[in-house]
This record gives sequence, C-alpha cells and structure tokens, in this order.
Amino acid sequence: MTNTIDAKSLAKMFLAGAQNLESKKEWINDLNVFPVPDGDTGTNMTLTIMSAAKEVAAMEDPDMMSLCKAISSGSLRGARGNSGVILSQLFRGFTKAIREKDELDIPVIADAFEKAVETAYKAVMKPKEGTILTVAKGAYTRARELADEGCTDLNFFFDEVIKYADEVLLKTPEMLPVLKQAGVVDSGGQGLMQVLKGAYDAFLGKEIDFSAMDAPESAPSSVNASPKEEVDIKFGYCTEFIIMLNRNFNIKNEMDFKEYLESIGDSIVVVADDDVVKVHVHTNDPGLAIQKALKYGALSNLKIDNMRLEHQEKLFKAEEAKAQAAREEPVPHKDVGFIAVSVGDGINEILKGLGVDYIIEGGQTMNPSTEDMLNAIEKVNADTIFILPNNKNIILAANQAQMMVEDKNIVVIPTKTVPQGITAIINYVPDMSVEENAENMKNEIGNVKTGQVTYAVRDTVIDDKEIKQGDYMGIGDEGILSVGGEVPDVTFQMVSEMMNDDLELISIYYGQDIKEEAAQELKERIAEGFPDCDIEIQYGGQPIYYYIVSAE
Amino acid sequence: MEKKIAIVTDSNSGITQAEAKQLGITVLPMPFMINEETFYEDITLSQPEFYEKLEGGANVVTSQPSPESVLNLWENLLKEYDEIVHIPMSSGLSGSCQSAIMLSEDFDGRVQVANNQRISVTQRQSALDAKMLARQGMNAREIKEFLEKDKFNSSIYIMLDTLYYLKKGGRITPAAAAIGTMLKLKPVLQIQGEKLDAFAKARTANQGKSIMINAIRNDMETRFGGARADNIWLQVAYTKNIDTAQQFVAELEKEFPGFNIVCNPLSLSVACHIGPGALAVACCKKIK
Repeated sequence: MTNTIDAKSLAKMFLAGAQNLESKKEWINDLNVFPVPDGDTGTNMTLTIMSAAKEVAAMEDPDMMSLCKAISSGSLRGARGNSGVILSQLFRGFTKAIREKDELDIPVIADAFEKAVETAYKAVMKPKEGTILTVAKGAYTRARELADEGCTDLNFFFDEVIKYADEVLLKTPEMLPVLKQAGVVDSGGQGLMQVLKGAYDAFLGKEIDFSAMDAPESAPSSVNASPKEEVDIKFGYCTEFIIMLNRNFNIKNEMDFKEYLESIGDSIVVVADDDVVKVHVHTNDPGLAIQKALKYGALSNLKIDNMRLEHQEKLFKAEEAKAQAAREEPVPHKDVGFIAVSVGDGINEILKGLGVDYIIEGGQTMNPSTEDMLNAIEKVNADTIFILPNNKNIILAANQAQMMVEDKNIVVIPTKTVPQGITAIINYVPDMSVEENAENMKNEIGNVKTGQVTYAVRDTVIDDKEIKQGDYMGIGDEGILSVGGEVPDVTFQMVSEMMNDDLELISIYYGQDIKEEAAQELKERIAEGFPDCDIEIQYGGQPIYYYIVSAE
Repeated sequence: MEKKIAIVTDSNSGITQAEAKQLGITVLPMPFMINEETFYEDITLSQPEFYEKLEGGANVVTSQPSPESVLNLWENLLKEYDEIVHIPMSSGLSGSCQSAIMLSEDFDGRVQVANNQRISVTQRQSALDAKMLARQGMNAREIKEFLEKDKFNSSIYIMLDTLYYLKKGGRITPAAAAIGTMLKLKPVLQIQGEKLDAFAKARTANQGKSIMINAIRNDMETRFGGARADNIWLQVAYTKNIDTAQQFVAELEKEFPGFNIVCNPLSLSVACHIGPGALAVACCKKIK
C-alpha cells in the first residue's frame, strides 16, 4: 500500500488530471449557464492547465521544487477566464505548501488543500458560493477530517475526498439560483472534479492516454513556426536553450534580453521562472544569442536546427502580420497607455481612434490568458497602463497580470462589455491624475447599459425565459432581456427593455454577419420607437454577436 | 487731477454696441470675410445672419481689425479722454493683441494694451473690471498691469455639438487632432490663458454638462478660493441656441445657488471656429 506521493508520481497525477479535463472539456462547456456560444469554462480551464502540463511533461525526473514551480508558473501564465484564474490560484496555493517536501502524506496534502482554497478565495474580489471555490472548499473539508482522524490510506483518502466534493458539486444548484433554473451544476466545479478524478486514476495506476500533451517539440505553443517556403525564411536557425540563472533576472533584464534577441532574429519566446529562463529564437547567428545568454548563467538543453533544411509548419497569414508588428520600431514612451480586449475590425478601429494603444484580440470567442495580458503590457511603452477587459470573464485574468507586473503601474478598469470600455476611455481626462481618472472611469461605466444579441447553443431556462437551441437572445447587463426567432425583433425588444427616461443616446454596433442595410432598417425602427433618443449606428465587425447596443 | 480713462475692447467680448453705450465702454467690431465680402460683427452682421451663412456652408474667415480702424478709434477717443486701456481678444487665439501692442508704442503710454488672454464672457468681465478700476482712480498703466496679473483667475469650458467646424477652421487643430474618432463625440474644450485644448469628451449633452460643472467647481474650489457668489463671477455663453443655454443656466443655478449668472452669446469669431450648438461655462475670480 502506498502512503506517500513523490514528485514523479505527483507529476504523473497532474498530467493525468489535465488530460482528463481536456477530454471532458466539451461536456463542461455545455454546463455554461448562459447558452451563449462563448466564454467556455471547459476550454478556459483546459488551456490554463495545459499551459502548466506542457512544462511538466517536458521535465525529466523532476524534483518536488521544480515540479511545483512548473505547475504554478505555467498555470498562472496560461490562466484564462474566471474559472481558469481560480484554478491557477488553487495550484499556486497547493504547490506553495508542498514545494519544500520530498514526499506528500495525508496531513501534508490536507495542508496543501487548505492553502489552495485560501489562496483562491483571496484572488476573487467577492467570492461566490456555489462555484468552483465551494467545490474546492468541500474537497479540503473532507481532506482535513480524514487527516485529523489519522487516516493513512491514500487510496481511501482520495476516494473519500472525491466522493464528498462530488456531493458538494451536486449541491451547487441549491446555492446559485441561476444554476438551478438552467438545470446544471457549476461548470468550474465540474472542471475541478475532472482534474481530481484524472489524478486519482493515475494514482491507481490506470493507463492514461497522454497523446494530447506530447512534450512540445520546440517552445510553448504560442510560438510561430517559421514560414514554409525556403525563400521566406529570414532567420535560418531555430535556437533553443535553458539558462540556469546564476544572477538575478528581473523584468528589466528580461526586456533587455528580448530586445537584444529581436535585434538578431524573430519568433522570440523568453519564459522566466524563479531560477531558469527558457529561450526560443529564430536567428541567423545562434552564437550571438548564446553568448548573450551566458551572461545570465549556465546553459542547458541546447538545440539548434537549420530550418531551411527542414519541413516547417505553414505560417498563418495573421500570425505573420503579428510577427511583423513585433519587429516594428520601438514605440515612443508615454506617461499613460491603454490596452483593450476586443474583437471585430470596426470596434477595434473605434477603440484605437479613442486612444487605445494595444488591442488584445479576443473576448467573445476566446478569453485571453494572463500571459497574453503580460505580452501586451510589455508592448505598451508607458509608465501607467489602463486595461479594459471588456468582458466579465476576463477581468480576473487582467487582475492577475496586474499583480505580476512590477515595473509599470497597471490599472484594471473592470469593464464588462465593449460599450463600457468605450465609455471608460471617452471619460479619460489627460489633465487629471491616474487615481482620479481610475475613479472617474469606474463611476462612468456604471452609467452605460449594454445589450448584446446572439444565438442559443442549447435548450435551457434562464430568468424564467424558455430558450430553445438556435433561438436568438438579447442579453443585458443583468440577464436575458428578450428571446425570439428573428434578430431584428429580439434586438428591438431588448432595446425596449433597456430603456428608461434618462437615456439620451443609443449606439448600435452591428456585427460581421449583419448587412449594413439590415442595420439601417433596425436603426430606423428603433428611432421611431424612441423618438427622444439620438441613435448612432457603427460597424463593429464582431463575430457571434449580431448587435451590441449601448444606451446612456 | 484724476485722469479720464477710456476702456476699449473688441466684439469678442460679446458686449453688443447697444450694451457698450450703456456701460460706457467702446467696442471695436471684429471684421469677417464671408465669401470674400467683409462684414463687421454687430454692425453689418447680426447673429442670425451669421449662423445662416455658416450653416449654409459659406466660407467664413475671421480677420484682425485693420490698423487703420484701431488707430482711428484711439485717436478719436483721445480727443475726449486722457488715456486708453485696450483689451483685445486673447493673444493665444489671434494676432490682434500683438498688432495693437505694436500700434500703441507710438502713443507715449497713453494707450495701454492689456495682454490678459481673455475671451468672450471672461473678456467682458475684464472690460467691466477695468471700468471699475478706472473709477477707483487707477491710471491706464496700473489697470493694464492689474489685468495682466489677474489673467489666470478665470477659466472657461466649452462643449461642442460637433467637431466639424473645429476641424474645418484649422486654427485649433491641436485640440481637434487629439479627439479624432469615428464615434460622434461632444468634446469639451478648456481655455486657460493662451491654451485652448481638449479637456474631456462626452457622448451626450448631459454628460458634457456634468463634466463642465464638475470642472468649473473644481477650479473655483482649488484655484479661486471657494465656490461662493461673493468671490466668483459665473457666466454662460452659447452659440446660436439660446434655449439650451437658458436651460443650462437654470441647472447651474441649482448647482450654485445664489450666483447671478450672466448668459451671453459667444462672439462670432469664436463661433465660426466651433460652430452652432456649443455651450460654455466660465468663471472669473472677483477682484477686490
């Protein structure tokens, strides 16, 4: 009988947990309360844990300390969506409690669960019960009981903890009315259960299919491969290594190092952890990269490939443009910069016109990760950066990025919709202080109402409205406002629900699937219905949401 | 013996010829070129005529008063008065002040040009202040120096209905450039000494008004020693639309009880740059 877990088993269990979550992600996506085609909890949690799993999978014979660091920093950087951020904080707390140990027994695991739950609750401004947090707390509660009872049988321990946490999960609909009405359990909680169950399976020695997370061939998945055709390859050698740091490597060093690499190549990835830095660069002179890196420490895992001789993955056009942008000249320094999360060429243009320096593509269909935020922050050369997440499922990832940045003042304005983001930046006053502006913007975003029209991806009941798959829904700040079979009717009804006497201006941003004439027709209909309001129509170009409407 | 001092300003002060007579102030009309033809504010061009032409797309260009008209005015006044205090529109917005200073150099100090960077209702207040100071016995040079020392004790915020005229006019492009966007916005500009610049942006008139009210209150409290009627002159100015201006006055009376709020049309040389539908609030610290 095994009574302890060593680093090697823990790594296996972690990978199995990640694998199990990955295989169940679609099922978890379907548990989302709002039947909207976005904000998928399963996808977000999977991407979060996979970011860590890839680092873990690449480790040979890890010790506890390095395993913990890989799990913690990998998931923190990869965190997306609220559930993903909470999951990453659970891992962060868990690994903090065990990193000094060689082996884990039940009391240590109970302590680690406690630290995990404590850390995750702290990461959320207003913790809500009936969520992943409650399920995690349930797991901890049972773990502590068993530890106190002197249980030493890990097999029994895991079985009991999972059973109890599952019971708590089943009770989540009693704690959150929206879950009950939709007839689902909390999706984030279910995601956590899948991680625990996968880990338990590995502990029991079940065969796990790890094919989905083969150790990365080169660097993390976000790295662009180089172009397919030889003539297009500007930088011929794919160069990778790990620096084992023998001196401090702060954000400033990291930026200097990246800047240097940018001067000799492209496709640069520099991932720094406590005492190692992973480096990936395409360059014509790998020697320069290596010499520079030697200043920071000793090198290991060196790998240099001649890409001109090898078959390379095709580079997507958009990614090429991105790489191009990264090679552009350094932006001039300013006092205050803005980062916004947005999707849709029209809305992006509007935001840029209002002074947004950098747009993180995403929001509706793909929640950007904390690392995406960190990369954006690095690109904006300003002392203070305001971040407009423009989606309630992205605010936590932005807050997490804010806590990880030390050399810039990051202020997250918790905008939940694009119109709130537009309102925030319109109200920015250059003459006022950062604090006054933050305060003012936070106040002003409460003065704009948002409605968004999309389609339902499954049948459900929410806010006492019965929704069939394929129906159109108008979603307001507080819930579903209208449901129906025709986009214009649903939109008009949604606007009617949003209106009150104080509102003066209705702005309509039409999406990529809406023709301009149709949008004009709708505008006229709304103008007739609300003759006291100014109506403004703009091309938004956003996917999935036919119309985004704001009223203020 | 006490000197007889004439107070001169230009029609940018918003003081009409009729009002000027009552106040005992001389107002130099600003010339306009409309489709190549010259008009004089409040003499050969009324406000309604002006807006009709402006909105009809006419090419409206402001110019400085001709040196001849300025010299004639001064020489005539000096037949009756000992000295002149001349208060032109802000040197930050026009070259008229610079020209007047140059012209005044030939008058042996009898003509004092105050370069105090005022415009519209705050320029009007300067003229009234100058009149009072003259009555109290100051000579022209003392009045000029007083006004110039006092120049930063005023503040103006203007909300525009549209960016169109600002962009077209060209003169105030730095402000316009900062607020270029596809969205319809109501920019709020600030006039502070020489500086006319973008202050904030609003999407609706009510938002813009509330931005201006907060800003002017902040100025009163942090710069001018308190939002009290015995300390501050509060003024409203507008282009074309008197009804919205009067409504704004009513709202300000609620916000600042006890203040006697002056409401005047913005002078046309400002209006032609910002277009119809603009609304401004201004304050000046009362002189003691």
